[in-house]
Amino acid sequence: MLIGYLIAGFFLPLFPMSMVFNVVLRRLPGIAARSLVLLLWPQLGLVLLATLGTPVPSWLGAWALATAILYGIRALSLRDLSTWIGFIAVAAWSLVWVPAAVTDQTGLLHLHALSFSIPLILLTVLGFGLKERFGAAYAGLSSGLARTVPRLSSLLVITVLATIATPLFPNFFTMLATITLVTPAAPSMAIAVAVVWLLLTWAGARLLQDLVIGPPFPDPKPDLDRKTTWMHGSGLAVFIVIGLTLSGSLL
Amino acid sequence: MSPSIGEKLSIRAMIYVAGEQVPFFWPMRSFIHHNPLHGLEHLPFADAVEKGTHLFHASGYLPRTAYQGYLAQGKIDKDALDASVRKFCTTRQSPPGLDLPRWLMTALCKTGRTLAIQSSVADPADVRAALADADLPDRTELTAAQLSIKIRARLPRDMPLYEIVDALYGTSIGLELDERVIQACLDFFDEGQSVWDMPERQRGFFAAWKDLAGRDVKSTLKQLARARSSTMDADAEGAIVQILQVLGVPMEEWSGYFRREVARLHGWAGFIRWRSSTKNYYWAQRYPGDLVDLVAVRMLLTLTLLRKRRHRRLPTTFDEIEQAITSKPQEMYLRSEFYGPNLVPALAHPVEDALLRRNADLLARVFVDYRAHKRRQEASVQAQRLTDLATACQDSAGLRQLSAEGIADLLQALRAFEKHEGMLWLQAMEAKSTQDLVKGISLAPPPPREKRPFVQALFCIDTRSERIRRHLEGVGDYQTYGIAGFFGVPVSFMELGKGSENLLCPVLLTPKNLVLEMTAAAPQDQAALSAVEKAMHELKESVLTPFVTVEAIGLLFGFDMVGKTLAPTAYNRLRQRLHEHKPATHLLLDKFSREQADSIVRAVQRAVIVKAVEQEFRLEPEHITDDMIRELRESALGHATGSPGLVAMLGLDGEHEQAFIERLRTDYRIEPSFAKFQLERLGRIGFSLDEQTRFVVQALRSIGLVHNFSRFVLLVGHGSASENNPYESALDCGACGGNHGLASARVLARMANKPEVRRRLRARDIDIADDAWFVPALHNTTTDEIHLYDLDALPAQHLIYLDRLRNGVTAAARLCAQERLPSLQTGAAELDAAQAARSARRNSMDWSQVRPEWGLSRNAFFVIGRRSLTEATGLDGRAFLHSYDYRLDPKLRLLENILSGPLVVAQWINMEHYFSTVDNERFGSGSKAYHNVAGRFGVMTGNLSDLRTGLPAQTVLDNGLPYHEPVRLITVIEAPFEHALKAVESVVSVKRLVRNGWVRLLIIDPETATRHYYDEGEWQLSPHHDHAPGTKPEEPVTT
Repeated sequence: MLIGYLIAGFFLPLFPMSMVFNVVLRRLPGIAARSLVLLLWPQLGLVLLATLGTPVPSWLGAWALATAILYGIRALSLRDLSTWIGFIAVAAWSLVWVPAAVTDQTGLLHLHALSFSIPLILLTVLGFGLKERFGAAYAGLSSGLARTVPRLSSLLVITVLATIATPLFPNFFTMLATITLVTPAAPSMAIAVAVVWLLLTWAGARLLQDLVIGPPFPDPKPDLDRKTTWMHGSGLAVFIVIGLTLSGSLL
Repeated sequence: MSPSIGEKLSIRAMIYVAGEQVPFFWPMRSFIHHNPLHGLEHLPFADAVEKGTHLFHASGYLPRTAYQGYLAQGKIDKDALDASVRKFCTTRQSPPGLDLPRWLMTALCKTGRTLAIQSSVADPADVRAALADADLPDRTELTAAQLSIKIRARLPRDMPLYEIVDALYGTSIGLELDERVIQACLDFFDEGQSVWDMPERQRGFFAAWKDLAGRDVKSTLKQLARARSSTMDADAEGAIVQILQVLGVPMEEWSGYFRREVARLHGWAGFIRWRSSTKNYYWAQRYPGDLVDLVAVRMLLTLTLLRKRRHRRLPTTFDEIEQAITSKPQEMYLRSEFYGPNLVPALAHPVEDALLRRNADLLARVFVDYRAHKRRQEASVQAQRLTDLATACQDSAGLRQLSAEGIADLLQALRAFEKHEGMLWLQAMEAKSTQDLVKGISLAPPPPREKRPFVQALFCIDTRSERIRRHLEGVGDYQTYGIAGFFGVPVSFMELGKGSENLLCPVLLTPKNLVLEMTAAAPQDQAALSAVEKAMHELKESVLTPFVTVEAIGLLFGFDMVGKTLAPTAYNRLRQRLHEHKPATHLLLDKFSREQADSIVRAVQRAVIVKAVEQEFRLEPEHITDDMIRELRESALGHATGSPGLVAMLGLDGEHEQAFIERLRTDYRIEPSFAKFQLERLGRIGFSLDEQTRFVVQALRSIGLVHNFSRFVLLVGHGSASENNPYESALDCGACGGNHGLASARVLARMANKPEVRRRLRARDIDIADDAWFVPALHNTTTDEIHLYDLDALPAQHLIYLDRLRNGVTAAARLCAQERLPSLQTGAAELDAAQAARSARRNSMDWSQVRPEWGLSRNAFFVIGRRSLTEATGLDGRAFLHSYDYRLDPKLRLLENILSGPLVVAQWINMEHYFSTVDNERFGSGSKAYHNVAGRFGVMTGNLSDLRTGLPAQTVLDNGLPYHEPVRLITVIEAPFEHALKAVESVVSVKRLVRNGWVRLLIIDPETATRHYYDEGEWQLSPHHDHAPGTKPEEPVTT
């Protein structure tokens, strides 16, 4: 059983197994491969978890929270967007252990993980867009995006807001549901989840500050075309609608 | 050991010299336009721009694309540009097979970015290989010693230590240091904005700050004291010397170090420098602080912040930096790349990773990889840019055939050219502007008049006057003149109800005479509305009251906000009605005689003694007799020994009597030396008759108005009116020290209307007709309205003409608003004159309006000559027009005055607009929308920034693009060449401005019909042909 949990800890990342996920993500070359990993990685963990039976031991919840806090803090000082995505993914997915310790609704847990995976996938797509234009998606290197590539930066801002679970996006309800679920059993864990949420928000704000704000890039760069902008925007809108539709059951 | 007095003096001298490069920053209550590079005016313009832009990290010219836009609009003379390019090419070796002038012209006109990149790794051979799509040639990597030299070259010798640490370790010590210095400046230099004052400010900036500084600073002070086995020197110079020694700054670098430190927050430094060098500035006298204090604060914070980061193994002295560069050159190279602006983005992550791990092998591997990658990238980018240029030039074959040496030549030429191209664009733009101006200039004398004009109006030389003058001349029989807005009378003015003096003259002058505004109206009780407003203000300013009153009275502020936002015109009219109107006033203009002054001092002394007796002995007024007061006064002044009257009244003994008399001397200042001081102060009030006559003669002669005076002679000062605008005084009259010009107009009008003055004028060949009356007026440049003042003094027979005069100025004002408004708001071109005037009025009352008017934006010309010179052409509000008739100035004094005063002020204005336009973030003050008032004397961006010194974006930019067309002031003097040249040569400051190219000078000689243009160190002569509408072309003269 313990080995099973440890293996699940690779997919619903627990430190230090989480390093495997980050290495894998960094080495994958294309958007499709990375998106697939971001989509499926936690789902595999949840499938494995289901075979082990839920709820999981509570000490795993504590381990998961420590992992989330560690990665949340580390994300504060990261500048490389793809690494940032990996760290936020670890911080967010490890939180799935927390409701898993108090509920046996595996379907709900799948949705929880998905609600974090989707904005991270959208962010990955934008990250590649930045890399194409600026040579790297690196905070501080390509600052002032708002005035250089306004469409891309608008989408970037909204997607980062989606990633850090701001209201209306499904993961906002995920975080609320997590806190609501664990509060009766372990109020201290609920507080820890809130701390992780705060760290994610802080990391997102720092990233945006270093990417979007500032004087424009000296060399003009092509912005996203209208079609891509609409497609990406529509993806976000659908994400919001799905989140609002399902939030009743999440809560 | 403490530094000696000599060392301290040396520090003070070095910082004084370092401060010279920073322009003064005057408090914004009276905004003074200034040249941000004033400290470099001893250099030629191009050199000063190069030095200044390096010092202030700014741009000195517009980007190429902006100039290309001007070229497309026909605002740049392409032939002049072409000629400049060809001239440049004569000094360069042309790459074989290339038509270099054509390449450079193509680069200027058809490409938008830098063509010769600053390559640090790739060489021309690499570029050649990249152009041929071949592998880069083999090359040996730099040795450790060579690499160390390269790294040191990136760090200027005068760079402060924290900047080096920031550049190599990615810290933000500089930012934190600046924030703490700004906070300290805000606390210390506050002029009443803060509710709670910084304590002990009278001890000086450094001393007061040191006491309040945080625990970290105090810990540094203790450590320093321990290390030196003595207490830390209490004064600023001592602290600076000690810290420089601790940081290991070589003594020969101290001057440069100070220069960089002072320039870092040049707004604050400029304000502190101005403040400490201004005599009689209340706040400076009370709370002294200078640049030495500022540098001491910076040095102490530098040391503190560096030491706070010791746990991160950062170097904290220059020796440690040097050691790191020598022993770990690869790491230091990667650091300077990673935290610098030229990092190869694709390798950012591995470089960061290697730097974090600090593993020598990994660093060495990443270093090699990085250099190779950077070399490829630089070669590829450079090759692409050259290819783009060749394509634009339609000469790809020419590029392909170039050898590595040819490419080296081409890159060298491009690099030198791009360094100088701003100057070429500027000169070509000025050439076109000059041509346009000259086309409109007519030397034809004005037709003789059969009768005197209905009105003669003297306006300020301000560019905004050009429009209103043109319209006024168009609506009737008006003759206008241009004169500096203080009308040549430097006045220190004390307005009714104000306790301080306003200096109404250019900052170059210091007024000797004080004029008081007085009223005969009895003092009135404070209006109820004013009392309510005061109460509201105090509630807002208090620390605690907002917490408890916001719910109770917050809504009242809401009404105010709704009114000001939705219906600004009606709401402001209502408010104005509720306010008490200023009563009719008189100016105390004449000097007191000695007897009058004595009498006033006596009266004041008597009044003080009466109050003293009332307060000290609780005597009622009916018991205080004149004899008693006289006796007390005589005794206090030492002319008598006691006051029998007082003794008898109160039954005092001798001891008490003498004690009271002594108190009169010490506490109430009834003593001879103070009486003498009062007499001196009274001596400043007013002008003697001689002075008045001299000022009137000078004003009238300088503009050539010496006969044929009209019934009305308007003296039109100007000022602006806007709401919620810290820059309001920037829109007022620069010649009046950033104040409204009305008081100056009233002063000169009073002088010129005085019969005694007119009698003396006749003796000097200026015969003002008896019925001529000088009327002061104010031109509101935001609304274009002209209001007449002091009409109660107007002779009765003039009243019947007053309606005609009012109609004329109203019509001109409306037409002026109609002409001006389309540049301010979209759709205004459709408005008729009355609607335009209403819109302009609304702008002046709208608190959300960030651009109530364009002010002096687009200024470009300064014309010194008769009105007929430019009367036939519209100058679009771009010209300072100073009337001048050389025939009345055989001794050149008038022209010298114009050059040394108005021209210099106009050049400051012009340069402020120029630099605020070419780099609004560094030389200007950015967007007004983010401004906050700081300490009641300046503005900051956000809540903590350097003082913003230049003009805001809304004054010089339109939708982010230049509205002001940045050219140097093109000055035209209408006078015989020798006459004008002699005057220019005799005014040293102007001669320097002309020779160094800060002002472009054109002398138009009406007697020979020739133009003399000073360009590149020599006078160029050409004939002048009249092209202005309505003038007859002349035959060219032989030159």
